[in-house]
Amino acid sequence: MFSKILIANRGEIAVRIIKTARRLGVKTVIVYSEADADSLAVEMADESVFIGPPPASESYLVAEKIIAAAKATGAEAIHPGFGFLSEKASFARQCAEAGIVFIGPNPHAIDAMGDKIESKKFANAAKVSTVPGYIGVIEGVPHAIQIAEEIGYPVMMKASAGGGGKGMRIAWNRKDVEEGFPAAQSEARNSFGDDRVFIEKFVTEPRHIEIQVLGDKHGNVIYLNERECSIQRRNQKVIEEAPSPFLDAATRKAMGEQAVALSKAVQYDSAGTVEFIVDKDRKFYFLEMNTRLQVEHPVTELITGIDLVEQMLRSAYGEKLAIAQKDVGIRGWAIESRIYAEDPYRKFLPSIGRLVRYSPPQEGDHGSYTVRNDAGVREGDEISMFYDPMISKLCTWGETRAEAITGMARALEDFHIEGLGHNIPFLSAVMDQARFQSGKITTGYIAEEFPEGFKGAELTEGQADLFAAVAAYVQRLQSTRHAGHAAPRSEWVVVIGKSSRRVRLASTDSTLTVTFEDEGRSVTLSHVDWRPGLPLFRARLDGTAFSAHVAQALEGLVIRHRAAKSRVLVLTPNSAELHARLPEKQAADTSRLIVSPMPGLVVSLDVQLGQEVKEGETVAVIEAMKMQNIIRAERDGVVKMIGAKAGDSVAADEVLVEFG
Amino acid sequence: MQHILDELARRRAQAKLGGGERRIAAQHAKGKLTARERIDLLLDEGSFEEFDMFVEHRAHEFGMADQKVPGDGVVTGWGTINGRTVYVFSKDFTVFGGSLSGAHAAKIVKVQRMAAKVGAPVIGLFDAGGARIQEGVDSLAGYADIFMENVLSSGVIPQISVIMGPCAGGDVYSPAMTDFIFMVKDTSYMYVTGPDVVKTVTNETVTHEDLGGARVHAQKSGVADGAFENDLEALVQVRRLVDFLPSSNREEAPSRESFDDPSREEPSLDTLVPANPNKPYDMKELILKIVDEADFFEISSEYAKNIITGFARIDGETVGVVANQPQVLAGVLDIDASRKAARFVRFCDAFSIPILTLVDVPGFMPGTKQEYGGLIKHGAKLLFAYAEATVPKVTLITRKAYGGAYDVMSSKHLRGDINYAWPTAEIAVMGAKGAVEIIFRADAKNPEALAQREAEYKAQFANPFVAASRGYIDDVIMPHGTRRRIARAFKSLRTKELSNPWKKHDNIPL
Repeated sequence: MFSKILIANRGEIAVRIIKTARRLGVKTVIVYSEADADSLAVEMADESVFIGPPPASESYLVAEKIIAAAKATGAEAIHPGFGFLSEKASFARQCAEAGIVFIGPNPHAIDAMGDKIESKKFANAAKVSTVPGYIGVIEGVPHAIQIAEEIGYPVMMKASAGGGGKGMRIAWNRKDVEEGFPAAQSEARNSFGDDRVFIEKFVTEPRHIEIQVLGDKHGNVIYLNERECSIQRRNQKVIEEAPSPFLDAATRKAMGEQAVALSKAVQYDSAGTVEFIVDKDRKFYFLEMNTRLQVEHPVTELITGIDLVEQMLRSAYGEKLAIAQKDVGIRGWAIESRIYAEDPYRKFLPSIGRLVRYSPPQEGDHGSYTVRNDAGVREGDEISMFYDPMISKLCTWGETRAEAITGMARALEDFHIEGLGHNIPFLSAVMDQARFQSGKITTGYIAEEFPEGFKGAELTEGQADLFAAVAAYVQRLQSTRHAGHAAPRSEWVVVIGKSSRRVRLASTDSTLTVTFEDEGRSVTLSHVDWRPGLPLFRARLDGTAFSAHVAQALEGLVIRHRAAKSRVLVLTPNSAELHARLPEKQAADTSRLIVSPMPGLVVSLDVQLGQEVKEGETVAVIEAMKMQNIIRAERDGVVKMIGAKAGDSVAADEVLVEFG
Repeated sequence: MQHILDELARRRAQAKLGGGERRIAAQHAKGKLTARERIDLLLDEGSFEEFDMFVEHRAHEFGMADQKVPGDGVVTGWGTINGRTVYVFSKDFTVFGGSLSGAHAAKIVKVQRMAAKVGAPVIGLFDAGGARIQEGVDSLAGYADIFMENVLSSGVIPQISVIMGPCAGGDVYSPAMTDFIFMVKDTSYMYVTGPDVVKTVTNETVTHEDLGGARVHAQKSGVADGAFENDLEALVQVRRLVDFLPSSNREEAPSRESFDDPSREEPSLDTLVPANPNKPYDMKELILKIVDEADFFEISSEYAKNIITGFARIDGETVGVVANQPQVLAGVLDIDASRKAARFVRFCDAFSIPILTLVDVPGFMPGTKQEYGGLIKHGAKLLFAYAEATVPKVTLITRKAYGGAYDVMSSKHLRGDINYAWPTAEIAVMGAKGAVEIIFRADAKNPEALAQREAEYKAQFANPFVAASRGYIDDVIMPHGTRRRIARAFKSLRTKELSNPWKKHDNIPL
């Protein structure tokens, strides 16, 4: 085995690689940009090398700097992680020229799979089923129509060089092709500098299912079964699981064998992923092959017990694959949720910043489920604008899919983040959806289930009880701690939104029973693990463990449990009556003007006339007292007037932007 | 006998109706509660004891002799907040619009005097139309009697005003002299002269809300120390504030057993101050992470946001927190911030509340607007307030402490008792760039040499160790251990004794 490797990456994947290296007794070197100088990865690695300013193009993407760092520290090999240089064949070659082992596939395999048209040719040759389509250069619209009609509508037109959704168009009929093909071409040219477009069958009710493969330098390749990654938002995977709830053993075997055949065709010799699209009849078509470790690899590790990073190190070192296909099984079920720094309530706008509070659920065994959290951050770290806004990858494992889902829902409850927006409430909402639980998912899931975006979920009856019990507990504790308090009263009214319920409280040393007087039933809170000031309220309600997030409001508490969030008041009957008299206020009228809060210099004015601006978006940056202040929109609006430009000096209260 | 008891019950019921059901309904329709409902919400359940329920005015001109309502437009008495005695008066808008008569004023003066004697806070709830014109000078005399008690009680007992409806003319000066003013958004306003007079005199057209609404006073004028959404929220928050305060200057603030370990470490504070000295950070994060249970009652949160003031507890004991906010105007001291903090520091000193000062200040705000506005004298208020304060003073410099602003912010030189600095502190006359440009003027045309000098200056002076070497800083502490160190510091200062020379009173630069 290597004695020292360099990790050409950052964040959670760097930390994850260091963990395996440590276990194997391999020393680690991490490269880091200015933005990552105090990162967890730098702290954990045995050595670290500074490689430049925060933008990746000046640090993590500069092959020369990374190879120089490896040479300077005597690292024998480089693990590229994912993203950055991981799929650059040129980098793999540069490593080889420098006498350093690239921990990944050989450059020929990367090249072969890197281009969509090339990879399809290989796939066809290896008898891998591909989406019916036309491989080759399409000569203009009439040719495109002819091809589309041969394949049969609907068809998809897609940039050859592209990734993600750029330059992608769906045509349901001849007219769509006439209009869409030239547009796809020009988009491809603008985005990728390459106007080649290919046409293929558009698969309806598609699922994204991928096969993990593992190869060595001795011609052996095995498959580690599948992952289903259908829960995506704008082609960005959000929730992944292994195995897929959709595949049967025969399909799994067929897909696995094709993936292996394709890998063998390109002499694949590391960990890789063959992505398929699967239709409702379990027909599967090859999409592309990712010649690197995949973000969602932990779910495969959890069901197979195989450490993929370890296997990559071993095969890179030249070891023979020690696992035979027959030894690969599926044990239990694993789910991964990607925790992103984004605000789900505000159209998933990125929400970078400081992790004022960061407290993930405890990793390890929780009885019916196991938690794994791959993260590269600690409380107080910054989610930087320069990189992917992923905070962590939360995985749960259970014997069954249902247990894994329940485990994920609980683990998400226990995850506390403050300081920036995050998608935990959204992920919780998905876990609670019957459709997700049933496994009837497609890549259109999020768009179909959340057509209006995410607004949080309504309280269920159980949650209404839970909120009442938590608020009553907090209220009772706060009111009895004062020196002069009288015996606590037992009749209260719990107000949640428009509903108010009369409750009677009875407590013992360790329990609080809340009786709902008008319904004649009660719930009991026990095993409370909370004290004033803690954001996470952990307890059991009628024996069922839960965690809720509590925050003090000016009046009452704001409680969140999973995707449901509400303000809860615990009032005396008299106060409740008076409260009911107070009219509900309209949301405050936020001014249409955005003014400079201080005298200073306009560094940049980031909006244009007529532009639609969302609440929270940066409108301008003003420098005052040598400090840059970001001025954000306080509501949504369309820019009607701009009052200053970059370089202007503005006075306090000077109008920067007016909304129409 | 029974009929005599019944007569009392009848009279009470009548008094409790105030201006009658129709007016009560009108009050509710405006989104306001009645005077008595407000008292119910403010005080512990069933603790209110009313004074002067049957007082009536004595005016007879303008047909007033025929219009008498028991209580005369104000409900007064006492009760408890979490078991501690407070005195209250609550203006009843349903009776003569809450206007002030001689008898009405006398009721208020009575509770003011009782409170001063007993040593308990006075809380006034305002919702009134000003002087009762029919009473003429009796009304003016009544105002002055109230003002007089406000002044005599100032610094003796906490006085809190909550504006829950109109408050204009003579009515504004009593709240103005109390320690804290809170307002209710949309339903309250406060001004010396109303929109009609403004229009007549200056030809300026303005609404009640834009002239003296809660937002105006909480954000622009600084007259109000907080604005709340509705009556309930305002009263709940007043209860919360009272819990932080001593009942009088003869008593200590109540201590509250804390669920929060005073030695709790916060590793994330080690990364609070960004590596880039020009990058802001949120000072409130530091406050919330070092005080008990993250419980912080902020005073004037929407006004002069470049400085933060408020009450918290450390190891169960109330402290007043004053902190520069680097997130707003880089935490600079300007006129508004100086006034806001000076008044807060003097309140704490008057009531023996220890002061925690968190410093990250680049200096005083430059500019004509500030100088014309009298920054010199306003800045001096804060300097004066800190210097004269004899309560325990613990100071922590997190980053910048430049120039005169360093001296002002509870420095050792102003009798700061325990002065800490984080390793990121820069205690200097000014920032490195500015200093180098002055000291090495000869190199002005040589940016390279200047950059070199700047780096040298930074290395030598942009740290806490120069100040520490002279004893101006008692210790340089680790950010993650801040709560423990500050809790210990205040604990050690509990027996502090210090007094200023005898004087009739000082002459703070008002």
